[in-house]
Amino acid sequence: MDGQPLSALRDLFGERLFTSREQRICYSYDATGTMSLPDAVAFPVSAEEVRRTVLLANEHRFPVIPRGAGSGFSGGSVPVQGGLVLSLERMDRILSIDTENLVAVVEPGVVTETLKEEARKRGLFYPPDPASLKFCTIGGNIAECSGGMCAVKYGVTRDYVMGLEAVLGTGELIRTGVTTVKGVVGYDLTRLLVGSEGTLGIVTKAILKLIPFPETAATILAFFRSNHDGSSAVAGIIRERITPCAMELMDRTAIDCVREEADLPVPDDAGCALLIEVDGPRESVSTEADRVEQACRQYGAIEVGRAGDAKGRERLWTLRRSISPALRKVNPVKINEDIVVPRSRLPEMMAFLADVASRRNLKIVNFGHAGDGNVHVNVMISGTDEEERRRADEAVSEIFGKTVALGGTISGEHGIGISKAPFLEMEVGPLGVSVMKRLKGCFDPNGILNPGKIFMEEQMAQR
Amino acid sequence: MSREELAPLTLACAKCGTCRTVCTLYPERKAEISVARGKVALVDAAISGLDGNAEALQEALSDCLLCGRCERACPNQVRVEEIIMKGRADLAEEMGIPAWKQVVFGRVMPSAAAKNAARTAAASAQKLFLRKVPTGSGLHYRFPEKFGWEGRTVPALPGTSFLGSLAHGEAVRGEVILFVGCVFDHVFPQVGRAAYETLRRSGKKISVFRDAACCGLPALVSGDKASALRCVEENIGRLSAASPERIVFPCGSCLLMFRRNVLSFLPKGHPLYGQAVRVADLCEDYASFLLETGVVSRLPDPPKGEKAGRIGYHDPCHLSGTLGKGGEGREVLRRAVGDSFAEMKGADLCCGYGGTFNIRDYPTSARIGQNKVSVAAEGGTAVIATACSGCILQMRDMAARTDPSLRVVHLAELVFQAISHR
Repeated sequence: MDGQPLSALRDLFGERLFTSREQRICYSYDATGTMSLPDAVAFPVSAEEVRRTVLLANEHRFPVIPRGAGSGFSGGSVPVQGGLVLSLERMDRILSIDTENLVAVVEPGVVTETLKEEARKRGLFYPPDPASLKFCTIGGNIAECSGGMCAVKYGVTRDYVMGLEAVLGTGELIRTGVTTVKGVVGYDLTRLLVGSEGTLGIVTKAILKLIPFPETAATILAFFRSNHDGSSAVAGIIRERITPCAMELMDRTAIDCVREEADLPVPDDAGCALLIEVDGPRESVSTEADRVEQACRQYGAIEVGRAGDAKGRERLWTLRRSISPALRKVNPVKINEDIVVPRSRLPEMMAFLADVASRRNLKIVNFGHAGDGNVHVNVMISGTDEEERRRADEAVSEIFGKTVALGGTISGEHGIGISKAPFLEMEVGPLGVSVMKRLKGCFDPNGILNPGKIFMEEQMAQR
Repeated sequence: MSREELAPLTLACAKCGTCRTVCTLYPERKAEISVARGKVALVDAAISGLDGNAEALQEALSDCLLCGRCERACPNQVRVEEIIMKGRADLAEEMGIPAWKQVVFGRVMPSAAAKNAARTAAASAQKLFLRKVPTGSGLHYRFPEKFGWEGRTVPALPGTSFLGSLAHGEAVRGEVILFVGCVFDHVFPQVGRAAYETLRRSGKKISVFRDAACCGLPALVSGDKASALRCVEENIGRLSAASPERIVFPCGSCLLMFRRNVLSFLPKGHPLYGQAVRVADLCEDYASFLLETGVVSRLPDPPKGEKAGRIGYHDPCHLSGTLGKGGEGREVLRRAVGDSFAEMKGADLCCGYGGTFNIRDYPTSARIGQNKVSVAAEGGTAVIATACSGCILQMRDMAARTDPSLRVVHLAELVFQAISHR
């Protein structure tokens, strides 16, 4: 970017345009730790400003990278080709919460937890709960189709987006979807935009579905001797036709990380833990919790704890919540993948992960949303050993291969971004990639929006 | 900047963004440069040789209240305050320290006599040049608008300091030392007095640390390591030689300086390092000492229903947050005032003072502070009690601006009142 587009942007944004090196450094990264400097950062406060920015970008051909809170795990908001970072954090108003139609209309910069709390005050529930919900934004959640713990029962962000207002790569402002429960008029452009990682359009407003807040919940923590027992219990509970609102699995390496700091007794021979939560009407929660306990015992649980009140439940959750912070004890650098396999294949996947770790002499800590088959595979490396880094990369490749072979997917909720771009074709095939690129061309003919993401450079060149 | 010292500290940041949820300044700035993740990235860039402009970097690192919320929320336990303070010090070394800071931090603060002289001069000056504002917490003076300080008010300075008011025979060399701190000695001597009188109810011999230098925190957070070091050397040597059983601090920030900050900035090989570690172990907050020695349990029963729920406790960031002493302050208050105490709305919101932050960006500091006291007042609080000199200075100014009937006092004043009046 040189003087001309910058001065046009200055006219548009005034003091809301940052060009100093210091300010640009602060918008060069996301939670992957990857850094790439943008040429400028702008803070729009209206859809009109976003539209005019994209028109300028088409005129002067500079990249525009939409950004929420920069908490993504795939590099989605990192400006790998420079250009303008469009930070939507100041478009953060909840425009309406309609308690008659159970619909919320929000701007993209609204923090996920803020929306959840506002809904809760009205007895309503916005379920998506990515781990970063205290700071990530709805816009970012839509761009990456974020999931979370409760996806097993309530689904992911896409299941709550009814309609969108977005600026396409052409600078046109489009409204997609409906404000009603049903709607089948033409192609489902809303679903296409959700998870498109800011490569097709920039969301400026979202119409979101809310549901009644569940009456009560109960939490069960079960310890097993092995991953095999624990992951078999996951499949067993699903087979019992119970749908918990969370079913989190922690393997031995994860339990070992928190064994000392956990404020509750962990059996010495625990090789796997399952944290299960059921919610709903009072009567059904109590019988479902009984059945979950029974199922855990049936699959060899060595200890089962249960809590119904908020304080007791929170205590059981500490085990799960302390894992991420404690991972650094294993090794300082984390390669964090979020594979998903069909739930029935989970025992097989867990065994495979243990095998990869021992074969390749790596420290791999596995935990995650086992209820939906989503495992967070954390390859923990020193970050200073090149050879170890190579082994880790090979391990990740191998794990992705196995995931696809088991009928799974290489990213449940983080998105492709830059970190998984090399593996896109492995999962969707050449025709899949080709159709996606054709769609990209239709929404963003000049390749303005978030270039360098999802597709590898050479794939884009072939277009 | 010194790579060896800072690199291991910045490496710990995983760039997750948790600090965005707790930063006091982020809602004001709405930009990543205000939060820890951004500042750590800047320091990291600087030590990797990627920094552009030292002045801009200094500006970014100065724009922080050091409230410590990010550090406490951080899942990776990144030592953000240490990174920022070290960064400020390294930059100050490169770029020099402004003349006024050199005089204040380097000449006045380390010397008891100079502090006395400065107070006397300032007391006369405020009477001559500033306008009087009566407030619920005592007389304040208001700066004229043209100062660019949007009508900042300052408390009327006393003619005599607390230590000056003590007859020499009154303070004896004893087992427990009261470190009264500059503000409670020179600006609010009634707090120094209340702390002293109430500590004496412990039955222990209480001596007052005479001719104390400033704790050094204001100099340290300004990056003026040399002046901070002068204060620390002055204090540690003498405190250590007195070998007290305990050193009690009515101010949470002075306490944080002695308990933690001294140890992070004093080089390991410094001749005083060992003594500083031992002194740190002896340092304790006012409320904890009162609880331990049973002073509050011997208080007469407080009257009931008089001002039910009108007295609240403000959590100083350093004392309640970093040092985890919020419970002790409340317990003392509850025993001193009975059912007049009620949990205050927004008790743990930062007051926005931030030491030198209040001087470099008064409008922002005042917005944060006014919100703090307004939230408290709207919740029904009429008296805010706390235990930090900076918080009291700030909240009194804010009360004078928004609601002069709102009183801001030190915990010790209420305990002293309870002892004297019943």
